[in-house]
Amino acid sequence: MRQKTFFSLVLALTAVLCFSAMTFAGTLTDIVKRGELRVAVQSGAAPYAFVDKHGEHAGSMIDFTKGMADAMGVKLVVLDFDWDGLIPALLSGKADILAADMTPTLKRALKITFTDPWIEVQPCIFTRPDTDFQTLEDVNKKGITVGVLLGSTGETMAKQFLPNAEIKSYKGGGRMVVQALIAGHVDAGVNDDLAVLTVLPDFPPNSVRLLDKRLGQGKDPLAFAVNHESVNLWQWINLYFKTIRADGTYDKNIAYWMEGTDWKKDH
Amino acid sequence: MLADFNLRIIFEYLPLFLIGLRSTFFISAVSIFLALICGTIACACRISSIKLLKYPAIAYIEVIRSTPLLVQIYFLYFGLPTLGIRVPEIQTGIIALMLNSGAYIAEIIRAGITSVDDGQIEAGVASGLNYFQRMRFIILPQALGATVPPLLGQSIVLVKDSALLSLISVMELTRVGQTMTSERFMPTEAFLTVAFFYMCIYFCLKALADWSQRKLIYREAY
Repeated sequence: MRQKTFFSLVLALTAVLCFSAMTFAGTLTDIVKRGELRVAVQSGAAPYAFVDKHGEHAGSMIDFTKGMADAMGVKLVVLDFDWDGLIPALLSGKADILAADMTPTLKRALKITFTDPWIEVQPCIFTRPDTDFQTLEDVNKKGITVGVLLGSTGETMAKQFLPNAEIKSYKGGGRMVVQALIAGHVDAGVNDDLAVLTVLPDFPPNSVRLLDKRLGQGKDPLAFAVNHESVNLWQWINLYFKTIRADGTYDKNIAYWMEGTDWKKDH
Repeated sequence: MLADFNLRIIFEYLPLFLIGLRSTFFISAVSIFLALICGTIACACRISSIKLLKYPAIAYIEVIRSTPLLVQIYFLYFGLPTLGIRVPEIQTGIIALMLNSGAYIAEIIRAGITSVDDGQIEAGVASGLNYFQRMRFIILPQALGATVPPLLGQSIVLVKDSALLSLISVMELTRVGQTMTSERFMPTEAFLTVAFFYMCIYFCLKALADWSQRKLIYREAY
């Protein structure tokens, strides 16, 4: 009996290992053959990618990937993942493209291939209006807790620039960090300013204050990513961005989603 | 395929895994202990004939059993601060697990008590035993024997449910796996290790329950 249990355990483990090691290279040929472009997003991040009031995926990156799918002549399939599940989703072959507001870091690039950055954002520190934090040094103290998103560049930056503060990481999108801040579980948060600003309308007015002080060089590039094997897809995406920059589609997208708030009426 | 498995990373993260294991173990042990107390009290109120105790107990049990644990955790963590009550993460987790398991344990104990045949109680009454003597000598020894297996099951469920605390940034086993995944992008290695540690806890609990059933319950009952 005991031996049987052991054997079935070994069998189950082997099965798990085999399944996880089976990766599917998301090459262009595969995508066209399948008729589906599978895109992994983290949909808690307006205006990049989010679920709108009609229950549909919307956002700047959704429009971009929709354009890609149209250009390929295939259907767009949007897959939702938590922030820390995005890269594994790509690695395990569940998605062809990772379209999250992700910063290409050297560490991440060990595992996946990033396209050329398509936008630059600014990481920022935010806090409640009732705190008297003004500078980075005010936050970088013992006993002060800082909320970040698990696996985000905000987390890396908080660890780098706020070494004395206690870091708490949350899952489930930038909204969670703001929620934790308002609930008083953290004293400050670190995230991209655009990601913070766009979730603020969901909370009571004046519940969050952005510090003027930027973290790092104040520039955080964002890029799409593909599997190491999908070189042709990687080149194709770079070409796609060059094309839409030339024909004005890119500027229209950025103007609609990033520079104004008109999209809030439609979505 | 197996060659892709990165054992070195697991050893590199072993200290963090041990912190997570300790945290899961601590949270689970405290929660199980408190849940047993909570469940016993809730059950005592539930079967009592005093309406002021009975109806609140029914309300508590039904509310907990009809809502997901994750919702309860989020309510305690994010909801209560708006009412002015703010509890740190680990304490929130322990309270949530205690309240959640308490409701199920109350029902398990109640089922154990009601499983004792009416005839036995009548025999007790006929023998002139009072309420507490009947409880002590007739009902509880038999009820306890019947409740130990489901109580063990509930404890194991609680240990596994403690994984949900990773969502409110408690550094327990699952969160260690998530952290490793977010830093090294190796979910297979991370979550297989996490699963292995959960299995270790499970076998410890099982051994404890087997021992207690042999040593304590059977001696009481027979």
